[in-house]
Amino acid sequence: MGQELFIFGAAFLGSAVEATEALTIVLAVGLTRGWRAPLLGTLAAVLSLAVLVVLFGQLIVTRVPESALKLVVGTLLLLFGLRWLHKAVLRSAGVVAMHDEEHAYRQTVSQLGSAAAGRDWVGFVLALKGVFLEGLEVVFIVIAVGGAENQLPLATAGGVAAAIAVGAAGLAIRKPLARVPENTLKYAVGIILTSLGTFWAAEGMGAEWPLDFVSILGLVAVYVLASRLAVMLIRRPAIA
Amino acid sequence: MSVLRAAAMRVVGLFVGDWVQSAVVLVIIAAAWSTFARFGPLALVLLVTLLAGQLVWFARVEGRRAKPFR
Repeated sequence: MGQELFIFGAAFLGSAVEATEALTIVLAVGLTRGWRAPLLGTLAAVLSLAVLVVLFGQLIVTRVPESALKLVVGTLLLLFGLRWLHKAVLRSAGVVAMHDEEHAYRQTVSQLGSAAAGRDWVGFVLALKGVFLEGLEVVFIVIAVGGAENQLPLATAGGVAAAIAVGAAGLAIRKPLARVPENTLKYAVGIILTSLGTFWAAEGMGAEWPLDFVSILGLVAVYVLASRLAVMLIRRPAIA
Repeated sequence: MSVLRAAAMRVVGLFVGDWVQSAVVLVIIAAAWSTFARFGPLALVLLVTLLAGQLVWFARVEGRRAKPFR
């Protein structure tokens, strides 16, 4: 049960971060140029992403031997998680700027003009590209987190639940979700994915972890400590 | 076409932020894999320590290198 919860939670949180960024683009296009084209673009992107999940998910789960799958997926998850974690450490330490959805929204709006009459291809392509590119990370998270332990439906449910939750929140407030603690979420997901990646990569090598899946909690503790140490070592004082 | 190009760049960017750091991670995994049969659980401890260590190391390097953004 704990393992299932962990997989669902990792897929949900990782997907929620990316869905928030995709929502900002769709909102910027929709509120500036009208809703029809960006919604169609979003639908096209979501359908393409769903095809990718089904195609690659099934292919990987059914064709790749378990140990090789764990080694490859674990290594990729490790690289992916460490990239998020590295950025989160730099943001927490004040070395790079925090991601700001309000700023991203204003930037997208400033690049848009008003829509011409007829079909709005610009709105369609912008929404399609934005949702598809952000969604690629969701596809990877869902396939990697669900594939290694043969829990693809559970991970997919986590990703879909996140997309629905973020979409519903965006529909309700019709503004970028600036209050979602995106940087904290990215930090947490970076820790979880790095820990899962280490766990599966080692299992793929033939290692047996003491206490099996419970040892992931130990890995989480190690990476939390390492990242806090890194933040402490490079922290810059805030300039007023 | 630009969507496909951006998608390809995005896929590479999913796993590689800094090429040197990614290479170091791969070397650590390869080293753990090749020594696992010989050292058993000790290789696990080494793997986790080195992975956590490189996280701190590369953050320090970038922390020193980066200019203030404000």
